[in-house]
Amino acid sequence: MDGYDLVDVEVTHESADDILDSLSQGATDHIQSVQATRLQAGQPDSELRALKQLDENSVKMLEHQVDAAYRALFEMDGKALLADEVGLGKTIEVGMILKEMHFRETNDSVLILTPAQLAKQWQAELREKFGLDFVCNYDDEFSGFDNHDYIIASIDTAKSDRHRSTVLKRDWDVLVLDEAHYVKNEDTDRYDLIDRLTYNYAFFLTATPIQNELTDLYNVVSLLRPGLFGTRDVFHQYFIDSSQETLVNRDELHERLHKVMIRNRRAETDIDFTDRTVDTRTFDPSAAERELYQAVSDYVKGAYGQDQGQKLVLMLLQKEVVSSPAALKHTIEKRLDEQSELTHADELESILDLIEGIETVTKQERLLDIVEEARNNVEKGRVIVFTQFRATQRQVLDRLASEGYTVHSFHGGHSSEEKEQIVEEFEEEGGVLVSTDAMSEGRNLQFCNILVNYDLPWNPMRVEQRIGRIHRIGQKRSVYIFNMALKDTVEEYVLDRLYHKIDLFQQSVGELSSILSRLEESGTSFEDEIFERLVNAGSEVDLENDFDDMAVDLQEQRDLADKLEEFNSGVFDGFDLGASDD
Amino acid sequence: MDSTWEQVMTDAAVPVTQSAVEIFTEQYLRTLGCDIDKHDNRWAVTTPNEVDSELLTDSLTLVCGSDVGDGAAEELHPESQFFQTLLTEASERTPTGKISLETDDAAVQIPRWLQGSDIEVSSADFTPYYDRTALVVLFRVSIETVSEYQTELLRAVALDTRSEEFLPTLEETFLQIASPDNEAETSKPMDMQAADIQPLFDTAREEVVDRIQETTDEIHQEASRAADAEVEEFRQMQQQRIQELEEQLSNLSGRIDNLSQQINSSNEGERVEALKERKELKTEYEDVDTELDDLRQRRDKGFPERQHEIRARHALDVQVEPLTITEVEYESGDLEVALATDEHTWDFAAGYGSGVGITEAVNCSKCGKEFTETNPVRDIDQGLICLDCYRQE
Repeated sequence: MDGYDLVDVEVTHESADDILDSLSQGATDHIQSVQATRLQAGQPDSELRALKQLDENSVKMLEHQVDAAYRALFEMDGKALLADEVGLGKTIEVGMILKEMHFRETNDSVLILTPAQLAKQWQAELREKFGLDFVCNYDDEFSGFDNHDYIIASIDTAKSDRHRSTVLKRDWDVLVLDEAHYVKNEDTDRYDLIDRLTYNYAFFLTATPIQNELTDLYNVVSLLRPGLFGTRDVFHQYFIDSSQETLVNRDELHERLHKVMIRNRRAETDIDFTDRTVDTRTFDPSAAERELYQAVSDYVKGAYGQDQGQKLVLMLLQKEVVSSPAALKHTIEKRLDEQSELTHADELESILDLIEGIETVTKQERLLDIVEEARNNVEKGRVIVFTQFRATQRQVLDRLASEGYTVHSFHGGHSSEEKEQIVEEFEEEGGVLVSTDAMSEGRNLQFCNILVNYDLPWNPMRVEQRIGRIHRIGQKRSVYIFNMALKDTVEEYVLDRLYHKIDLFQQSVGELSSILSRLEESGTSFEDEIFERLVNAGSEVDLENDFDDMAVDLQEQRDLADKLEEFNSGVFDGFDLGASDD
Repeated sequence: MDSTWEQVMTDAAVPVTQSAVEIFTEQYLRTLGCDIDKHDNRWAVTTPNEVDSELLTDSLTLVCGSDVGDGAAEELHPESQFFQTLLTEASERTPTGKISLETDDAAVQIPRWLQGSDIEVSSADFTPYYDRTALVVLFRVSIETVSEYQTELLRAVALDTRSEEFLPTLEETFLQIASPDNEAETSKPMDMQAADIQPLFDTAREEVVDRIQETTDEIHQEASRAADAEVEEFRQMQQQRIQELEEQLSNLSGRIDNLSQQINSSNEGERVEALKERKELKTEYEDVDTELDDLRQRRDKGFPERQHEIRARHALDVQVEPLTITEVEYESGDLEVALATDEHTWDFAAGYGSGVGITEAVNCSKCGKEFTETNPVRDIDQGLICLDCYRQE
């Protein structure tokens, strides 16, 4: 290079005399002076100070999650779009952010808006994993958006006429918006609500920042950082080749997104999910069981035809009859006791007679095969058996104990210390843990790798949540899931026609939630759909066709979700903002 | 310089986080004999009478964080005046001292060229034979030039006092021991005398200059570019001036010609006036011509003075300042290492020092090349086989 050597380098060495003067000093704190020297040379740095306060048994933060929380808070000034791919723990990232803000006392008022079906789950996770107490709009104690400082609410409740003005009147410190793609459309009330809300910090979450088109991204980002992308027209002209409908100036789009969006991808994190093997076992019911099933189904159908107001209890009976005679008996007796003037009382009485006639409970006997297999092949023979009903749980526990198995019982009635104790004992002693769905998400059960669905919830999310308790980050062995169902019952339909068709048992919670939330955006819940089809079908063939229809719906949603994911990864290809990015 | 040196050389400066501030401050104050009573983020500090510190009064309240809003309390955060003064005081308190590295089997340092493959180190036993001494000097190096932000580096250099061999692994060990995350180890006064230290110190400071050569070169290049740009800018300005002067000359010469014609053709009164004017113009012409001549000459030589001045102004000023000197006692001996894969086992021995790591080159049994982080041991089938040889098999 021209003249390169003409610029002088002058090296000046300071003498060591001053330091050497201290040779004779007899102090013992020399290393402390070295430490001070190193700190003097360092730059001030931010850190997640609340990290140390987390209970490692409740939540173990992964590197990409800590990075995301750090960047959202310190590099994006507390306004960020967290857009990790599904299953990487965006909720954990927000939990960490909120915990840190709590530590720094910058969270006097926090509003978390979620889709309705996820509100309670958010509440439980923040409480159990981060020790943060929020009130949910579904809680009895909830008394309006102006009466609590830490609120989790469904976005639709917040935008409703009843609450909207109170929500908008407040200056919120922090706004968290889950499933932010719900506000992609600027002509909706949801968008309008977020647009008008006042807040200092905001964290938006979505795994699919683009649902249909790039405008979705523009809308979501513009809510978070107005002006980052300029006007809608300019954005379109600059980034989209309208004749080809393709993306142009991609580097600049990435650069601007980098200021506001964090997207970790599975492939870039070192999370390695182990294999999952699903073994669905269907059994022929005994003649007595078959008769009981038929009687209950007829009763439910007839009673629903007369009075749809009893839907919940009828649905319960239909679920219980395939779980256990004990569960069914408990509900029927209670019903007969409580309502002396009950119509159909005689039908219920005769069902009770049928229950009495059952000598062996087929599922229970078959369960013994599975736990015996586990006792011989798995460390400490650990198996978790899930049931929806306490009565079934009690019966299963008794039967297993009578066969000499070590058993543990877990249900919603325990205090949190007791729950912890039970999990600890199960880990140490091994054997069989029989649990209701009250087992919260936060519990770490990776030390066990065999799970039995003794009965099946009609809500696929719940099934996945059960599985998620053992098949999660940290599980080192392959996971085995056993599904138990009686032939020709609703359970078999749900399993065969629905769950297997959508490949439920191989989906992650994230994938599933994006399928279901699309489906549920249209209104009715999954459980209701199953029940309606069951009671309204004219014949066996109708019923099968009905379930097939439902499976097709699900499959369509799944395909849509897949396509979307593909499109998203196309747009964000090269958006290298993952854990490796520093 | 060996490229592996660059890789292991880390800057000794540490990020100053709030927790680092709090941990260090508490430790330092307790070393001084202060009593600290903590209530949330408020610390009530009581100082014993005999403590010699300008920083501390008999009783003092520290509040962790900024925006304290309490005039009577001192703020404690990475940039607070109190903390900065405390650091200065603490760093100047005991810049020399001696520590000993105890041999501890659990902490045997496995070289990087043995890590990261499927080969398992089934045992590594160290047998110490001799006591050795090393010197670790912490240098602050600042590189300054007008066109760049000042670069500050903090670098440790360790060398054996007898062989004067540099001990990079010991530098890492030392920095680990002196990490502000750890409680400070107790030190003793140095045994070595100033006269023994001086030659070693001279070697260390030459070494630190060598090690930062790459950084210096980068900054040097930037500075040269900036100086060149300035020289070029000056040259263009002067060229422009030359053109202006040339135009001025031709303009003057035209006007002089016109006046000469006027003198020949006009009446006496006008002639005198014109003669006077022509004389003035000629003087002006000569002045401009001299300036132009001078400029052209300087241009042809390349404006040496100006260049010199510009380049002198862009010169790099590298200041090397020793901040602490530590005498480190360590043990030297042999390390016996047993390796295993699913198929093979292999044992070897190499010179080793506590905190220093393997002290001699270990070579591939096949090609004889020395193992490095980039060419590690990859197989142990009848010897230590390097990655290169393994790939060729």
